[in-house]
Amino acid sequence: MNKKLPLSEYFLDPLWKNNQILVAILGICSALAVTTTLSTAITMGISVSLVTAFSCYFVSLLRKFTPDSVRMITQLAVISSFVIIVDQFLRAYFFTISKTLSVFVGLIITNCIVMGRTESMARNVPPIPAFLDGLSAGLGYGIVLVLVGALREFFGFGQLFNVQLIPNSWYATAEHPQRFQNLGIMVLAPAAFFIIGIFIWIANLISKPEKPA
Amino acid sequence: MSASKRSTDLQTIWFITILCLVCGFLLAVFAYGLQGPQAAAREFDRSKQMLIAAQILNDEEYFTLLDKKSGVAKRAAYREGVLVGDEGALKATADEITEISKKRIRPLLTDKEGNVYTLKEKGVDLSDYLEKNKKMGYANLDFKLFYAILPNSREEIPEEAILKDLSKMYAFVIPVSGFGLWAPIYGYIALESNVDTVIGTTWYEMGETPGLGANITEAWWQNQFFGKVIFHESSTGKVDFKNADIGIVVVKGKVADVYGSSPRSKSAVDGISGATLTGDGVTAAYHDSLTPYRNFFIKVSGEQKTTAE
Repeated sequence: MNKKLPLSEYFLDPLWKNNQILVAILGICSALAVTTTLSTAITMGISVSLVTAFSCYFVSLLRKFTPDSVRMITQLAVISSFVIIVDQFLRAYFFTISKTLSVFVGLIITNCIVMGRTESMARNVPPIPAFLDGLSAGLGYGIVLVLVGALREFFGFGQLFNVQLIPNSWYATAEHPQRFQNLGIMVLAPAAFFIIGIFIWIANLISKPEKPA
Repeated sequence: MSASKRSTDLQTIWFITILCLVCGFLLAVFAYGLQGPQAAAREFDRSKQMLIAAQILNDEEYFTLLDKKSGVAKRAAYREGVLVGDEGALKATADEITEISKKRIRPLLTDKEGNVYTLKEKGVDLSDYLEKNKKMGYANLDFKLFYAILPNSREEIPEEAILKDLSKMYAFVIPVSGFGLWAPIYGYIALESNVDTVIGTTWYEMGETPGLGANITEAWWQNQFFGKVIFHESSTGKVDFKNADIGIVVVKGKVADVYGSSPRSKSAVDGISGATLTGDGVTAAYHDSLTPYRNFFIKVSGEQKTTAE
């Protein structure tokens, strides 16, 4: 790897060219679970970005002293301490947010993206590039989450951010059964699977010409 | 870079020991330091949820004045100890919520026979009691917890007067708990002073699927509880407080489709599509948490009849 990459490259690369979901196919499990509504997708995107960024920073700080044989355990210890601290902090000062997030915060520890970035990038580069790389890996993940969440919430509930967008008068009633109905499948996990699959396909189509043969 | 470096076993052990100590120390410091604010945040949320269940506060954090007949909750402002109707009122501040909870929410205990005691009489410390019994639920203890919500008035009501005449209360809030699809669920149900008609309900802690079962925490779903009755009417429309089933039933689909306009529909609410199992858990939670209070309900409703006569 070229060591003299400009800082911006560390930030821009994982956003699109190496997007963790679309290209590396990481973090799919949580992407299926938290994208039923837009607001949870956004919160999850932000928290994963922050956790990945700071974990990468600390793993990179420790990279010169970390014995090779225990590097994964070290990364895990750093990641989980950080997640727990964030969780404790949320519980004390942002109780309402922590209530909706509590289920997901613990899951961040097991998110493949965090460990993927610390293992493949952070332990090889200085702290600042590692931080940028982690941050944008999380953001790239978040953007995909938000798009999937928006599609699912709109077609599954006719809403965005819990605001009804499809007018209630369009809906099928007992008198007009042929009118619109919410797509039940959008609410379930398989819908996210299809949507992400289509996204990956589109991303491949777009980025194909850039790829070296 | 790091791959080229080989460490001895001793170095590795030292590294891991120090890492663990540092991480452990940091976590301990944070957990200890944040204990106070966390407990305060939890308590604040509990009182807020009780106020929401009693429709003194709405989910957007505006104070409201509920018209118990029509079910319309008008916006209100907190002025010198009472709520005054005011359409232009601002959002409730945290201080106002704390103040009004202190003023109007009174935790009390009731036993199997329906007798009512203050916490002081039984030497119970509220936060200890809440912490210790949360998992098992308060309904099956010898001394069950409930909250009396005092009327919206400026005068101070001494504790003894509350016990003497419970029928004068604005509402009673009963803690309910049970199991959803994924995790335990905890909530409140607020009953009118006739201990039959529901004012509102909230679920403040749960781990249900976001977008599906988690909708039990949403206002649009909770709003349908107003005016429901917890004592199931028989098919002739009579209510027998001694033997009737107690609870609110979450049906699969719409109440109108399942029960039509039969008496059962008065104790049933619409289910959430895609969350039938959560609905079943909620139904069971209301039934299991409210039934043990039966004697208390009978006692309060009896008191009410005598004062009415």
